[in-house]
Amino acid sequence: MKNLNHGSPKKRVSPHRKFTRRELVKWGIVGGGTAMFGLRPAWVRASRSGSLSRAPVTTPFLMELLPGRGLAPVSQPVTPFPTMEDPGDCINEDHSQAFHVSGPREVPPNTEFHLIQVAPVSHLFHPALPANVLWGYGGQVPGPTFVARSGTPQLIRFVNQLPEDDAVGIGVPTLAVHRHGGHQAPQDDGYPLDTFCPGQSRDYYYPNSPAAGLLQNEHSTTWYHDHAIDVTSQNVYRGLSGCYLNFNPLDTGSELDPAPALGLPSGEFDVPLVLQDRLFDANGFLYYDSFDHNGFLGNKFLVNGLIQPFLRVARRKYRFRILNGSNARFYNLVLSNGRPFTVIGTDSNLLERPIAVSSFPIGPGERVEVIVDFRGTTLGQKIQLVNRLEQTDGRKPGDLVSPGVPLMEFQVNRDAPDFSRVPDVLLPITEGPRELLHQVKIQRTFKFGRSNGAWVINGELFDENRIQADPRRGTSEIWHFESGGGWTHPVHLHNFEMFILGRDGARPPLLERGRKDIINVGGPYPNASVLIKFDYDFSEQPGRYAFHCHTTEHEDMRMMGQFEVL
Amino acid sequence: MKSPLTWARLTSLLGLGMSSCPTAATPVTAATPETLANAPRHPDRAATIREQHLPNIPLTTQDGRKVHFYDDLVKGRVVTINFMYTKCSGVCVPSTANLAKVQKSLGDRMGRDVTFLSFSLDAEEDTPETLNEFARDNDVGPGWFFLTGQKADIELLRRKLGAYELDPAVDADRSQHTGVVILGNEPKGRWQAISALSHPVRIRQAIERTLLPPSQWRVGREAIAEVPFEKSPASQKLVEPVDLSRLPPLDP
Repeated sequence: MKNLNHGSPKKRVSPHRKFTRRELVKWGIVGGGTAMFGLRPAWVRASRSGSLSRAPVTTPFLMELLPGRGLAPVSQPVTPFPTMEDPGDCINEDHSQAFHVSGPREVPPNTEFHLIQVAPVSHLFHPALPANVLWGYGGQVPGPTFVARSGTPQLIRFVNQLPEDDAVGIGVPTLAVHRHGGHQAPQDDGYPLDTFCPGQSRDYYYPNSPAAGLLQNEHSTTWYHDHAIDVTSQNVYRGLSGCYLNFNPLDTGSELDPAPALGLPSGEFDVPLVLQDRLFDANGFLYYDSFDHNGFLGNKFLVNGLIQPFLRVARRKYRFRILNGSNARFYNLVLSNGRPFTVIGTDSNLLERPIAVSSFPIGPGERVEVIVDFRGTTLGQKIQLVNRLEQTDGRKPGDLVSPGVPLMEFQVNRDAPDFSRVPDVLLPITEGPRELLHQVKIQRTFKFGRSNGAWVINGELFDENRIQADPRRGTSEIWHFESGGGWTHPVHLHNFEMFILGRDGARPPLLERGRKDIINVGGPYPNASVLIKFDYDFSEQPGRYAFHCHTTEHEDMRMMGQFEVL
Repeated sequence: MKSPLTWARLTSLLGLGMSSCPTAATPVTAATPETLANAPRHPDRAATIREQHLPNIPLTTQDGRKVHFYDDLVKGRVVTINFMYTKCSGVCVPSTANLAKVQKSLGDRMGRDVTFLSFSLDAEEDTPETLNEFARDNDVGPGWFFLTGQKADIELLRRKLGAYELDPAVDADRSQHTGVVILGNEPKGRWQAISALSHPVRIRQAIERTLLPPSQWRVGREAIAEVPFEKSPASQKLVEPVDLSRLPPLDP
């Protein structure tokens, strides 16, 4: 249960604490091994030789997070364009370069249209490394941030401008865009086989209206990333992810708005922070091991695509939307000055009430939204966001260590007016377990396991045309998630949120008492029981969605199931 | 005596004081053909994989031919790789049967576009003659090689190709390594894995996706429906009052 501990860390990182050589080696500040944290089994290490034995030293806090570099621009709407018919397969029958869309569509007149070219980009992770050719939505890493308002749908056309072939060879240029945490029709959900190829495009329609029309179902921080069959892990690793932020009548996006608007920190003080790890070879080029199906870990930490960057901050409150966009790495975060985080949201939704914690865990795909208050700091002060969690392989998170590795640094450099508020009540739950539990008729158990070197759910392999559950629309069910063999699996449910009812009979930890679209099971995480309400109103037809392990290497090796909402 | 390294000293040593911090590093810009052409070269994927994962170990085929893994079996090819042994009575049996179905469905692409490689985990028992007999019994056609070699070499290969378990106790159980097919397009440096017990249509589709450029992948509804629709044996149970009583109390 160590990793679920939200209590105070054993030791704080003091600015005057001495560093051990081992810590410096781990950060890559002095030369050393490839592993940042711990060591892999000898024969795994032995399997990486030559150019992979050591990555260049990258001095931390050299790259500043600035608009356009690390702070992704907000996607701007374009003039509406006509939508076209779906040729129904990745290849057009006449071998033309025609748009491949899931239209033609009738969209409401207030729909915002966006056009995103998915293209190669020359990206600098750090000045000590050569530019790497990545793939970026909008030719950027991370991709442009979408900002949506409840009630205003968006239609986003992603155009695949990736080359058919490239020598880098990480990723395959066939795409499916999944808005993770979003509530959208099955054809817009980025189903792994709904792919589009170089020269083609696909339209995704996001209604941006809360499930069942309930205010409590308004979303906050969702994200979008590639979800193509077999190659999700490589494509995301190569750069294909970005943030999708949602505002609504309560969380308006302006701290100047009076109550009942929440008045959370807004504008330049509302910052997405995407945590990722990457493996670099001795020359500073990105490496990916497509033979590692256990979960791939890197040897450098990125925030918003930059290695251990810094952000200049004012002495006021900030809203940080922290997303773990890593393939397989779990983190446990703490501030080096020992100050608390005020958690306001988990995964896609704001919490009912804010919770102050001194540290929190965050697994692959999860989001935690926090308020950090820099009032009371001194100008010139430097505060690191530190990961204290050790992890040596893709199986599960390891132990908490001290002092950990700084992921980024906040440099306090100015004062700024602060009109923001953090109200005691954020997003009230009007239809939760209290209201729904007595109506529940169906429960299901899903055991995530490993058998003969492959992943299984309830002993079964994934098949694209097999469903594991068929809940009726509008009803609620209890699902029990279990994991065997000592692995931790971040189980992600598409399109619907979970209320966590308990873990092995105990109440869930504080940060799991809001809603989640990912739940970690196995390893240090006990089995879980969750309540899901299947609010599905996109069509008369059944809607088929995936649920899967979000350790993307497990996902690509088919640790996936499907459910069809009838 | 060395002075202790502190956060404050570290930042000054590294020139990270606020005043000396670079404020405008190279901007990140969209790649143009020129910048891409002039950029230092990322190592070639296929070459890196050859160096890291494709050891050129000596092997013997079921026909008694002496070959080398990289030079003779993998170089320039699209391959499927699995591990087996002829005395295996567990998961090898359905795995091999499944691969035999995939072989049939590939028709004349077998041996021309796609090569199957099955490696014995039991070097002592599985002589070329034993493997030959096994191949005949399993209706193995052209383009499917059964291979044996030094135990240490095969172990190295298995680990290099990712067919291992992180838990040494589980890894010691050979049956854990016989249920996976590794798919590779050597010239493109594209590798993945799928359970050998997946529906043979899914294995064939995965092989096609490994072999073909993405523009020729068959995806979407038709590809999904190539295997008939199925519903898993009911995972569902009715909720009884006793189930609810086992849940912890809700938040007040």
